[in-house]
Parts: sequence; C-alpha cells; structure tokens
Amino acid sequence: MSASSELRRTLVLPAGVDLHARPAGALVRTAASYEAGVAVSAGDRRADAKSILQVLSLGATGGSAIELSASGPDASAALDAIAELLDSFG
Amino acid sequence: MAREVAGGKVHVVPAGGGPDGTLGTDGGRIAAAISDADSGAGVLVLADIGSAVLSVRAVVENGDAGGPDVALADAPLVEGAVAAAVAASIGADLAGVRAAAEEAWDVRKL
Repeated sequence: MSASSELRRTLVLPAGVDLHARPAGALVRTAASYEAGVAVSAGDRRADAKSILQVLSLGATGGSAIELSASGPDASAALDAIAELLDSFG
Repeated sequence: MAREVAGGKVHVVPAGGGPDGTLGTDGGRIAAAISDADSGAGVLVLADIGSAVLSVRAVVENGDAGGPDVALADAPLVEGAVAAAVAASIGADLAGVRAAAEEAWDVRKL
C-alpha cells in the first residue's frame, strides 16, 4: 500500500456517547499512538483526530455518524483501534 | 476536566487564589504547584488574566520552583489546559505540550 492512499470508514457513535471529554480524549490518545495521519469528520466539520480541541469542536453526539480517514503505514490498524475503542464505550 | 480528558495520567495542579484565599495569585502557591506537578519532564504553566501571568513570570525568573524545566503557555486557560494535558498524556515533551496548548488559538469553539 502506498503511503498516500487514504482509508475511510464510517462509524456510528454508540447511543448516549457524545464525543466530548473522556471519549474524545481516549480517541485522541488512540489516534496519536499510530504514525498514520487520522482525520475524523462529523457533518460538515473535519478534525485532526490527534488534536483534542479539534475533536471536541466537532460536537458529535451519540447515535450520529462520523467518518474516519487515515493515511500512512499503519492506517488500517489505527482505524481498527479507533472503531474498537468507540465500540467499547457502547 | 483536563485530567479526566487526559485519562487521569497527568499531574494537573491548580494554583489560583491569593494568600488568604481571595481573588488573586500567590507566588508561594504557584511555586509549590509547579513542584507538585513535576514528574521529571518539565512543567507547563497556564495562567488566566490579571496578576497571574506576572506572578508566574516572577516565580520562574527567581527560580522559586526549584529544579523543573518550566514553560508558560500563551494560551486560553481552559482550552489550553485540556490540550496540554492530552499532549502530555501521549508523551509529548515540554515544547510539544506547550505547542498543543497554544494551538487553542486556532480552534473555533462554534
């Protein structure tokens, strides 16, 4: 896989799990543990998944869809880890 | 909140208030908080407005806090504290933690 290829995955936040405070922090810490660049989009906003303030500003609420995109050598593993993390909050 | 968002792994020590508990700041309290917060990799200080910035500068310039490397962030207090705590929790160095706090200027709240 070339480093420039981008992987995308759409996830639905578990009901009642808004992407703020503890869940947002956990997402950012997970994303930051991978080399891949990871972005998270909600509605028409897009955030660097390694920036807590950008992720908080998405205002993503439980039950809504978010789209993850990742590029880099471990992009697939990064998306898997984030998906698993969000599941664990459900 | 900063501690919570960072997963509880970061030392966040509040140091607001004057010597008698009133509005203001207290150099001794700031110096003690810097010592408490230090776990070897340096300490980032965030200040609100008024005397806070001056008091922190005085403490740092006088070396009142002892050994730790100390940096004062030019950042909004709450947003900067949250961003800094998360950066520290993922192993950023002092310069990286400071940069994360100062990125708060570039992120819109709404």
